[in-house]
Amino acid sequence: MSPILFWLFAFVMLVFGAAVVINRNPIASALSLVVCFMGLSALFISLDAFFIGIIQVLVYAGAVMVLFLFIIMLLDLRVEERRKINLVAFVGGLAVAFALFVQICFVVDQLGAAKQAFPSLRAAKMDDVHNVGLLLFTNYNLPFQIIGVLVLVATIGVVVLSKRELR
Amino acid sequence: MTIGAPILEVEVLVIGLFVLMVEAFFERIDKRTLAFAAIFGLAAVLAASFFLAPAPTDVATTGFWSFYTADLLAIFFKRFALVTTILVLVMMVDYAPVVRQSVHGTTHQSGLGEFFALPIFTCVGLMWMASAIDFVMIFVSLELVTMSFYVLVSFTRRNPATLEAGVKYLILSALSTGFLVYGITWIFGVTGETNLARVTAVLADPALESGPALFGMVLVLVALGFKIAAVPFQMWVPDVYQGAPTPVTAFLSVGSKAAGFVVLLRVLQPFFMMPQMVKALTIIALLTLLYGNLAALPQTNLKRLLAYSSIAHAGYLLIGVVSFAGEAVAYYLVAYLLMTLLSFAVLVVVANQTGDNIEDFSGLAKRSPFLAFAMLVAMASLAGVPFTAGFLGKFYIFDAALRQHQTTLVVVGVITVACGFYYYLKVVRAMYWDGSSIDAPVPVSRLSRVTMTAMMVAIVVLGVYPQPILNALK
Repeated sequence: MSPILFWLFAFVMLVFGAAVVINRNPIASALSLVVCFMGLSALFISLDAFFIGIIQVLVYAGAVMVLFLFIIMLLDLRVEERRKINLVAFVGGLAVAFALFVQICFVVDQLGAAKQAFPSLRAAKMDDVHNVGLLLFTNYNLPFQIIGVLVLVATIGVVVLSKRELR
Repeated sequence: MTIGAPILEVEVLVIGLFVLMVEAFFERIDKRTLAFAAIFGLAAVLAASFFLAPAPTDVATTGFWSFYTADLLAIFFKRFALVTTILVLVMMVDYAPVVRQSVHGTTHQSGLGEFFALPIFTCVGLMWMASAIDFVMIFVSLELVTMSFYVLVSFTRRNPATLEAGVKYLILSALSTGFLVYGITWIFGVTGETNLARVTAVLADPALESGPALFGMVLVLVALGFKIAAVPFQMWVPDVYQGAPTPVTAFLSVGSKAAGFVVLLRVLQPFFMMPQMVKALTIIALLTLLYGNLAALPQTNLKRLLAYSSIAHAGYLLIGVVSFAGEAVAYYLVAYLLMTLLSFAVLVVVANQTGDNIEDFSGLAKRSPFLAFAMLVAMASLAGVPFTAGFLGKFYIFDAALRQHQTTLVVVGVITVACGFYYYLKVVRAMYWDGSSIDAPVPVSRLSRVTMTAMMVAIVVLGVYPQPILNALK
């Protein structure tokens, strides 16, 4: 793929990843998270990993929706915005992030494959959605069916627990 | 005539769907009929489980039989799940008036249909769990059980205590699920397999670095610790047990715990050659024994007392697990099923009239000699009085532990049994010695009376003649 696109999406991811942390408003943070995931899925798609790209969008869209619900349910937005920066937490967070960064550098340095230049792939022909589906419906058929029952139980649960009194 | 073992789950599933459909399309019928139909159906499946065709014994590499086994342990715990569900449904019929008060709905029986249907789906999950020999299968069936318990625990949601219990159970269970998945990921990462037999084969290779797999196993152990309520993963137990509807508490303390132990027995097999694992389990067992028994001493609410007692019994069961005594664990679980469900059954009936504190049981011997005697048998067995199933269960566990030279565990176990006598007999004292201001007799339905009598007889008979259970696993 074009390196320009890679840099573009990587830049978008980094900017919005930082925005998740920097924003004071939790809803703005969550929205930045969505954009960050979109950038990640674009990277996957540009690597011809269509299935992972799509799943990234679908699953994380769902996860972020849950996050929104939690924000609305559990947080008082105004108080969140007015809260002062906790210095200990700030320094601690910075230290953890730095430690993680050092560790990643260390691992990449150890990893031989990271320094190697690989020949570019030819146009990928792998039908990944088809393969995943095939595996799910043949070998993993029994767990798949059990998940069907699980979803049924979850549906009953939603109806039972959210039903209002009709007058 | 014989049937294949996987048919059993399908049958139970069909019963569950049937109850749901009838509930949805026939509004006029008495919803308790559904419970009776379900009890009858489950009893039929239980009978059918004695006419099983032998399952393939060699482990398949792919497909159905690489996830599912029908060995003796699996069949045994399938029956266990069925019996538990039947007894819980009987309790739920008695509990129906409470549900009606605390569920929103247009008719006076709204919500009862779902209340009777969900345990059946839980039962299917428990049965699948008993047969699971693959981490993927263990995970999905465990989630089926947990998901239906989320709903059941918070079912009577007009009661604030129930809501609190529901939220606590949801959050802590979700956390433990996270641990389970993360642990499975580590084990898969090291071995490249999810099937337990193949994981064992890969781990047997001495060249393999076992650290990461052990780390994964510790995470899985944390998750299962939540399910079986072992210390230090027990913090949800007292509040959830007290807040949940009583039959659900009984189901949680027997069904969920038994399933946890089956999975524990299966999952530990690949890891038992590692001495670190045995050491970790020994410490967990010790803590569980001490915490459960000591914290039960000052309790005044019977549901909370039974919650701590359930933690304590997890400790005894863990001694059995550490001592590699599968049969002793199975026997203890059967005894635990009988005595716990019997005490909860009495509790449901008595709580309908007065309440679930120990003082509400004062003078029960005068109000209802039958219920008082049933509770006496249950408490005696929980404490471990000779000639009850509870005594023999502890005996087999300690015997197995002595053979493995686990002296510390046995000593602590015996001391905590003495503790147990104190708090279980506190209930007996309230029933037989304390006076009561209420004189009205407690009404007992005929179905409950028959069930309780059957459980009492089973406790005494198994306490004298344990062979049927011990032979079932040979």
